[in-house]
Amino acid sequence: MILEALEREGVEYIFGYPGGANLPIYQHLPEHPELKHILVRHEQGAAHMADGYARACGKPGVVFATSGPGALNLVTGLATAYMDSVPMIAITGQVASTQVGRDAFQETDVIGATSSVTKHSYLVTSIEQLPRVIHEAFHIATTGRPGPVLIDICKDVQQANAEPVNLERLDIPGYQLNGHVDLDRAGEAARAVANAERPVILAGHGVILSHAEAELREFAEKAGAPVGTTLLGVGAFPVNHPLSLHMTGFMGTGWNLKAVQNADVLMMVGMRVDDRVTARLADFAPKVKTFIHIDIDGSEMGKNVRPHIELVADAKNALEAMTPQIGELHEGRGRWFSQIDAWREEHPLKYTHSNGHLQPQDVLIDMYKRCRNEAIVVADVGQNQIWAALWWNYDRPGLFLNSGGSGTMGFALPAAIGAKFGRPDAAVWCVAGEGGFVMTAQELSVAVEHQLDIKIVLLNNFSLGMVRQFQDDFYGGVRSQSDLSHMPDFVKLADAYGLPAVRVDRFEEIGPAMDAAERTKGPFLIDFRIDPEANVYPIVPLGKGLNDFWEAPDK
Amino acid sequence: MSDQERVRVLSVLVEDGANTLSKVSGLIRRRGFHVRSISVGPSRVVGRSRMTLTVDSGHAEVDQVRKQLERLVEVVEVEDVTGQYVHSRELVVAKVAASEVPGLVERGAKVLETGPDGTTVEFAGEGKDVGDFINELFQHGVLDVARSGPVVMRRTA
Repeated sequence: MILEALEREGVEYIFGYPGGANLPIYQHLPEHPELKHILVRHEQGAAHMADGYARACGKPGVVFATSGPGALNLVTGLATAYMDSVPMIAITGQVASTQVGRDAFQETDVIGATSSVTKHSYLVTSIEQLPRVIHEAFHIATTGRPGPVLIDICKDVQQANAEPVNLERLDIPGYQLNGHVDLDRAGEAARAVANAERPVILAGHGVILSHAEAELREFAEKAGAPVGTTLLGVGAFPVNHPLSLHMTGFMGTGWNLKAVQNADVLMMVGMRVDDRVTARLADFAPKVKTFIHIDIDGSEMGKNVRPHIELVADAKNALEAMTPQIGELHEGRGRWFSQIDAWREEHPLKYTHSNGHLQPQDVLIDMYKRCRNEAIVVADVGQNQIWAALWWNYDRPGLFLNSGGSGTMGFALPAAIGAKFGRPDAAVWCVAGEGGFVMTAQELSVAVEHQLDIKIVLLNNFSLGMVRQFQDDFYGGVRSQSDLSHMPDFVKLADAYGLPAVRVDRFEEIGPAMDAAERTKGPFLIDFRIDPEANVYPIVPLGKGLNDFWEAPDK
Repeated sequence: MSDQERVRVLSVLVEDGANTLSKVSGLIRRRGFHVRSISVGPSRVVGRSRMTLTVDSGHAEVDQVRKQLERLVEVVEVEDVTGQYVHSRELVVAKVAASEVPGLVERGAKVLETGPDGTTVEFAGEGKDVGDFINELFQHGVLDVARSGPVVMRRTA
């Protein structure tokens, strides 16, 4: 019943783990060879794999877990997908409906535990509900602002038989997809950008989710407005484009932050305008006279920054409506571009080369030369994530995947595995620090079992690098509990799991190690032992405004 | 923002379901809002209930309360009736020690039960009137009070 419904929804992969309360589903799995089940080593890995799969190929990722601890192990992965609006279906086993509420073995109130990290959830206690619930769940997960939907199915329901039901038209009165589209002010918004002396556009994940990159580019070029992206919006606008401001936010580029802080009209499209974008809210974009906010989710309007013009719509629809109404450009645009060019010269991205240590940026630059814009880069969380965002020139969506909103360490390896299942044609590179890597390293078994062609770039600095940097700069230099010098030998660890690996300590060894990785079919790990003092720059000190960004010291 | 300005009165139509109340209350809590009162009962439509919520928006923008509620799939419709021209009624049921309560009856209270151990009365009205009524009860040796939150309906004229 459940598996048939999943087939009808076009599911190809399921990432899951069996247990007492979902064994009835697993009993029938072999009867459905079209559903390829990937046995993970921990349920969190399943959730991140489904997430990476969905981000890479656009289809919803599907997860199975049993009740109690199995379902609870999904929570971090659900939260990660929820924060970044990634479509996912989690099907969890629940104790029999007659046992619910009796503290049965492996019983947990999974709906209660996951309500805050799912777009919607269902507890299914009778077989009659099931076909409708599964169909609705896929609809809700994949439409509007996407997100994870959890279906908690009692064990007796899994064992019940029901006639396959013809799916009636969906009737979800509380979920009106286009109920709040408001494009009335599209023309006004377009003219405000065009007539601005110093316009800036910031683009977020919503542009990527709505496949609006071409529309964004057309609008920006016609309106003559420079474009920066959020961390999750990386790829929404080509970094090498003359109008690109690269990444914004409290670890964004200097010229981006200067532009944002001096803009008179700021258009924010497909983004939440969170604290990592604004830094100190009171100091955010202080010269802006007109904030324009475009988002599919009306609750984002005014949640953090109150816009003067709001368009509640899918980014693609909004940009399509705006572009024909651009009109005359402000005559001062040339001066604005010259000013931005001056800032770009004045505040370039830079890093320390001269201390004899291996620098993470050198590793990434070598990687970029090899991959150009063909490989998918899946980053973990921390310094590695920001370096991987800043030191590549992503030219289109889908090439850089990371846990931006939730900042979930341990995301990269399982998400890279999921991405490879979703995009078997693409090269997939996983960039992680050693701290996050060991949080989900058990999933190496999955990469080896399926001989997935994933290259793992470990930026190993023997510490929780971002924590150490924050402690050095903002917490009185007290390096408390951020030392990770006691870690496994990663080459031996890889060997134990059955994949080849090399260690790199010096600049000259980067190329040969990368060559070996590229030559090898299947998973490959490189333990880059980088400068333990390497930092992320620029960075805005905690509690400060975007104007106050620090740059890399000259060395 | 003053205490009063942060408070929204919302009339919310929801789908009946085992999880609806916990999802609504969970959302209010995790967004940093505070419930002042909540009343739930069946609506005109089978399978749907009407909630009347009085919510303090806390540190959030006040319109976030409505917008966040609208995101819940269980929520069909949210009407913000704060400061609107509405009929608003609260109910109080109280037990007093006195065996006769002419003063309360004069104010519109209805006697539900009376006997040597005291009298039980009910009173319905706008929040302020109910508050005044409860103050008056204290002059009659009040033994117990149960008070509902408001239920509201927009006025037709």
